[in-house]
Amino acid sequence: MKAGSRRDRRGSSLLPYALVVASVLAALLAPAWTETAQVSAASSGTSQNNYLTPVAARFSPDGTKLYVVCEDDDSVLAVDVRTQRVVGKAKVGHNPKDLAVSPDGKTLYVSNEWSDTVSVLDTAQWKVRRTLATGWGPRGLTTDRLGKILYVANSIGNDVSVLNLATGAELKRLSALRSPHYVQLSRDGRRIYVSNLLPYLTSPDESPVSELTVIETQKQTVAERILIPGVLELRHIAEAPGPQGDYLLIPFMRPKNLNPLIQVANGWILTHGVAIVHMAKASGASTAHSAVTQILLDDIDHYYAGVDGAAFTPDGRYALVTHSEAATVSVIDTRLLGQRLRHVSAADLPNRLDTAREIVVHRLPTQSDPTDVVVAPDGHSAYVVNRLDDSLTVLDIPRFHVRSRIDLGGPKEISTLRRGEQLFHDAKFCFQGQFACSTCHPDDHIDGVAWNLETPQLGRDRVANRTLRNIAETAPFKWNGHNPDLETQCGPRIAKFLFHSEGFNAKQLADLVAFVKSIPQSPNRHLASDGQLTGAQERGRNIFFQKSCHTCHPPATHYTAKTSSDVGTASKYDTSGLFDIPQLDRIYEKPPYLHNGEAQSLEEIWTLYNPTDKHGVTSDMSKEQLNDLVEFLKTL
Amino acid sequence: MRSALQSRWLVTLAALFCFSQVLLAQTPALYTQWENFTTANGMPDAKVFSVAVDGDRVWAGTEDGLVLIEKSKITKVFHTADGLPNRVVTGIAVDKKTGDVWLATFGGLSRFSGGKFQNFNSMTTGLANDIVYGVAIQDEFVWVATAAGVNRFNTRTGEWSIFSDRTAPMHEPWAYGIAVGDQKVYVAVWGGGILEYDIAGGYWKPYTDPDGEMEIVLFKNQGLIHDIVSGVSYNPNTGMFWASTYFGMSGYDGHNWFNYLSTDSGLASDFVNATQTRGDDVWACTDKGLSYLNFKTNTWVTYRPSKESGHGEIVITGPAKKETKFDTPTSLAHNYILNLAFQGEDIWVATAAGLSHGMHQSHKEGKTNEQARASR
Repeated sequence: MKAGSRRDRRGSSLLPYALVVASVLAALLAPAWTETAQVSAASSGTSQNNYLTPVAARFSPDGTKLYVVCEDDDSVLAVDVRTQRVVGKAKVGHNPKDLAVSPDGKTLYVSNEWSDTVSVLDTAQWKVRRTLATGWGPRGLTTDRLGKILYVANSIGNDVSVLNLATGAELKRLSALRSPHYVQLSRDGRRIYVSNLLPYLTSPDESPVSELTVIETQKQTVAERILIPGVLELRHIAEAPGPQGDYLLIPFMRPKNLNPLIQVANGWILTHGVAIVHMAKASGASTAHSAVTQILLDDIDHYYAGVDGAAFTPDGRYALVTHSEAATVSVIDTRLLGQRLRHVSAADLPNRLDTAREIVVHRLPTQSDPTDVVVAPDGHSAYVVNRLDDSLTVLDIPRFHVRSRIDLGGPKEISTLRRGEQLFHDAKFCFQGQFACSTCHPDDHIDGVAWNLETPQLGRDRVANRTLRNIAETAPFKWNGHNPDLETQCGPRIAKFLFHSEGFNAKQLADLVAFVKSIPQSPNRHLASDGQLTGAQERGRNIFFQKSCHTCHPPATHYTAKTSSDVGTASKYDTSGLFDIPQLDRIYEKPPYLHNGEAQSLEEIWTLYNPTDKHGVTSDMSKEQLNDLVEFLKTL
Repeated sequence: MRSALQSRWLVTLAALFCFSQVLLAQTPALYTQWENFTTANGMPDAKVFSVAVDGDRVWAGTEDGLVLIEKSKITKVFHTADGLPNRVVTGIAVDKKTGDVWLATFGGLSRFSGGKFQNFNSMTTGLANDIVYGVAIQDEFVWVATAAGVNRFNTRTGEWSIFSDRTAPMHEPWAYGIAVGDQKVYVAVWGGGILEYDIAGGYWKPYTDPDGEMEIVLFKNQGLIHDIVSGVSYNPNTGMFWASTYFGMSGYDGHNWFNYLSTDSGLASDFVNATQTRGDDVWACTDKGLSYLNFKTNTWVTYRPSKESGHGEIVITGPAKKETKFDTPTSLAHNYILNLAFQGEDIWVATAAGLSHGMHQSHKEGKTNEQARASR
């Protein structure tokens, strides 16, 4: 499947015709649509707008090859490090996100987020050998030290699959927190670290708390859950080499979401940095006390949004962190970092904007949306994955300058949707570069917290973040329904209330809106592939219609009547009780619920926040009926 | 010169050793050495409702918190301030695969994982009721016995199924205990007998008292001994389930019922709070001591504190109801027994006055179990 154009297809007015043509082609070229590897030399002859969109890279153990996963192309590439050319390409599953290399270098494991599988490739023959089933939404993955066990973070299932690589069977699933994205094997092989993108579900008036989940490889159990307060969107995990102190470095976003966002012009609203985690010597219920410190990588008058990739040089002297929304790599001198940690208290550091000037020794430019960085085993160079440029930026490590750009072979033309997506991920349009659209909408989705978005009074009109997936036909927008279209939403409103800048010009706005309208929906994991409902889902559907839920949530329009309604959920902090009726597609992926994010689960919408039956007459429902209704809602 | 007391202990121990020779083929050694964890040495409350073993760890649920014991030391007591949903911990199940510890409490269900509690209650999830009496693990499913029916929680999909008087042959809503068998799940329903769920078929089969009499047993060994069932356990070695009732104990092997009353067996009391099995053995937690049945030999052993001596008392009852009594220097913390769990050949017993650890004899002798057997 030529998947690189998934967004372009959705945004095209020729969509119906394209689908017919695609169907015919699919029938003719059926083998090419399977997950069987297609070996080919590097090609720049991909069709227009068939972007690769590389997201992650890993070196072969001998350092001669760099493997790159391309999410929009459903492929993995092999780059010859010496010639800096793409020498192999293999098709994998749908929407691949990450990869792991076996310890002997003979096997590649690629996670396919939308196929719920891992493709297993033979690196010598460059073929997919088999496909392993995982949990929902596999992303980060790693083998154990012996290469016998594979750990896969399931971003939708909120757990970690533990797979036996000899049999391919899933041994167990370990609970993570929310949207686990990245996985890292500790250098001593004793632990697996899992970073969760989304924080704990908490009250809307509490700061977010994130979790690093630690798995013990000997028992394959969760040994510790390390809390990282005040932050969200934990990203890649880098472990410092032993001599530097055995600590982890994990990028995060640190928001002041309880403060009015209108104060962006005062700075310090959305900050970006890394967590420094010193692991406890022992893990367990009574003894584990890992130490966490947070530092910011922003400057006082300029911010570096979208911290994402992280890697250490082999000697541990430097740490490299990518800023995907600032097209920059920050180089941290770890000796200076150590001094900083000793001289400033851990309580002060998370809010100090003067740290970067003490420890960041280089800011190196990249191409659009650098999401990952890997350092070559010889320590002489680093490779940055430019997601929206279909390229790699090669950095000279000893001298810290940009050495070259490797073209991975994507289209040379930049389409409307590609421009729009680049704008979506670019923080330069915000005052001092504090954030981009993608900062609060990672993966075009939600950040899982509520924001004091536009009202200048502290604590008033807090609203939960809403997904951008499949929203083209769900106008009006905003929880108060005041924005009739995305042009208003993304144009003057963002410029005035959020970015505090001139915002996008007309052309840019058109591109951005086109992109937002093209954002696809993720597959439904609760609905059987044949569409057949389970007993509980069937009963729940009957309740849905008997209770007239469909009046405000009509199926024909993504389960929203596209108007506002007062369902009795307003709190004393809300200016109005009228709120936009949200669409219900993939509702199980969107907690918290209600306009202010008060309901942490679907059940709470009715058990806690519908006391007067204004949100449907539900007080007469039994617990069994409510459970059935919830099961049906998950199928939407 | 030995004192009279010392001599008496020596005689007793010698007698116990001789008796253990007789029982050796079928039973572990008798428990004559007990260590007790009470409020005097760190337990947060006297009443211990539940106990579970996870390798070297022992978890105890009390009326005021969860206790973790490692290497015979209380290493941590968890209260609601630590995240426990309620102070009363009535049931504990360790997921052997994931290592997670599931807790039944009077404030809902909780999962202890990686040092943190994740709590589930009827307001925030599909849990049927916040009064939870029991919990058991079946692959990725967590089965929960509540005061308003039984829940099955699918940890992978998040689906909560409820089995109650609306959706199962459950005459009463109070599910007191739950156990997972071979392709079956058994539920102890207080006033409703035993319910058996066929996992593959997805249907329920009830077992109730055939005579329906509350106070007497008319049809012994023709069905469940009584409908007021307080607990259930499954023996994977024999394929039998065992039900504890407030009017005796029942076992069922799929064809035959085996019912026991204190009047016609060595069962310490008809008021049975729970049963557990190990090998061929069945253990009954009663209000008058801890009773053990070797099912093959129909030999009973009951442990309880001696009112007269203040020490321990072991009563051995043979098939002919002949009783032999021994004193032991240490004893259970109380004769009101609520539950027990096995740790190798040791046992951990939840009582109304603390948690008791019955240590296998070879511990004191400093021998391995194999060495102890060989020396006999």
